[in-house]
Amino acid sequence: MRAFLAIVKREFFSYFVSPLGYLVLTSFLLVSGWVFMVLVGALNSPETPRMALMSTFFTNVFQWIFLMLVSAIIAMRLLTEERRSGSIETLLTAPVSEATVVSAKFAGAWCFFLFLFVPTALYPLLLSRFGGLDMGPVLAGYLGIALVGALFISAGTFASALTKNQIVAAILAFVLILGTFIIGVARDFLPFPGMRDALSYLNILEHMDDFSRGIVDTRRILYVVSTVVFFLFLSTRALEANKGR
Amino acid sequence: MLEAHGLSKSFYGTPAVTDVSFRVESGEILGFLGPNGAGKTTTMRMITGFLTPTAGRVTLADVDLAENPILAKRSLGYLPETLALYPEMRVREYVAFRAELCGVARRDVKARVDEALGKCFVDDVAAKPIGNLSKGYRQRVGLAGALVHKPKVLVLDEPTVGLDPRQIVKVRALIRDLRKDHTILLSTHILPEVELVCDRILIIDKGRIVASGTPETLRHQMSQTPSVTVALKGEVPEADGVLRQLPGVAGASRIGAGGETRVILEGVPGTDLRESVFRESVLRGWTLLELTPREVSLEDVFVRLVSRDAAVESDTLPGALDPDATTPPQGTEVGA
Repeated sequence: MRAFLAIVKREFFSYFVSPLGYLVLTSFLLVSGWVFMVLVGALNSPETPRMALMSTFFTNVFQWIFLMLVSAIIAMRLLTEERRSGSIETLLTAPVSEATVVSAKFAGAWCFFLFLFVPTALYPLLLSRFGGLDMGPVLAGYLGIALVGALFISAGTFASALTKNQIVAAILAFVLILGTFIIGVARDFLPFPGMRDALSYLNILEHMDDFSRGIVDTRRILYVVSTVVFFLFLSTRALEANKGR
Repeated sequence: MLEAHGLSKSFYGTPAVTDVSFRVESGEILGFLGPNGAGKTTTMRMITGFLTPTAGRVTLADVDLAENPILAKRSLGYLPETLALYPEMRVREYVAFRAELCGVARRDVKARVDEALGKCFVDDVAAKPIGNLSKGYRQRVGLAGALVHKPKVLVLDEPTVGLDPRQIVKVRALIRDLRKDHTILLSTHILPEVELVCDRILIIDKGRIVASGTPETLRHQMSQTPSVTVALKGEVPEADGVLRQLPGVAGASRIGAGGETRVILEGVPGTDLRESVFRESVLRGWTLLELTPREVSLEDVFVRLVSRDAAVESDTLPGALDPDATTPPQGTEVGA
């Protein structure tokens, strides 16, 4: 556990000593701020239908495409850089298991993903000054974001376990993340109602729609958690495979 | 303290290390010597659990590495050949990270880090980012990271490579000093290093152990064939031919030229050639400038051991290999 926390801490703080970390932070703030501004602007026009602003903030596709890209970039260096530089040798000869290394690296990157959203807490606070704001759905929305973030970062972790090249890892991560996103959207093209129901649990937009309306569905949580475990398991196996080649 | 039993490793069917067995006793420094590409790093990586051996097993402080990797690795400190630190971290942060990684209790971390930094003479740069340090400092920071959790066994892969001569002296002194608290396995391709630092030497070539013993025993094995350097004034073309005829001479070879004639004589074991060379020179009216018994260096041992196969390969036709070349030389004792 001490080793796990040590790696999480190192991983998390390493984003704050790299230009990439600040680039991601800044561009995320710009994009989310712009989305928020557009939404507030839309609310001012009389033609706009009544809606819960924070819910729209969490579910708009534009922001999600950007988050997929950000997740791929956050995760691309996780194991890639360790393997390229050779520092993985230090980690794997320390008294820790491969699974600990992988899950700690994932956790560090996930913490950074969550950190991106800290400044956005200002938006609901601002809104609550100008009108009634139901905090329940807002908190559920953040929970939804955290879960989807875990899903994306775990896919990125797996991509980073497969190559020593960060660019390759980033592209692979983006493809995998896009895959987890698209698989749910494919629901609309399937002729069989049973499969549609099944796929709708994999649909991330629906997932976020539920959460942002305050519906915390354990089935959706279970889907995310099991997929994260699956990706981390694959990453661990990929790392172990290097030992025995 | 550290035991390897029949370690073998193949990469995609090509053997890199074959049947390597040895043990390092508590408090001993064992030098692992071999030319580049002999399988030193592969062996080190198997001992430290970074690579899984194709066959064989490793025991660290009486714990089997394959059966209980986490417990076994608790008593291990490892300085890899490709020293990869995190350049963005500060020295103190990094060593503390290594301590936490190895499960040092939170309240002990600070004291252990201070101790390790002091031991490796890097306390003066404790607050600097690792990326700004010179290679010599980085090497010692890596060493501090390897021993911060007080491991029983230290495995150092080429610890002095890439350092300047002054730093090499410092690091060697440091390693000798570490034997008080650690059992050390050290790999190198630099001969004087093993002679200076190690209690016992293991010579590896082409993935196999070709000799083992203390520097003295290895040298002794070779010095049974005495050797003398003779220098004569002027050009004496017949010198090597004449000297070869002396009793007890097994071989003579001319080297160099330029105003003098130098001949290296090899004698059969147990003879001293100096007297007969002197008498022969006087008899023939040669001016003897130099007559030196050659000290057999570890380098001679090493070169002889590791170059045999190469010489055989290039000199003989396929299928006509000298059967002698593939058997280990006499006196090879593994695990002794």
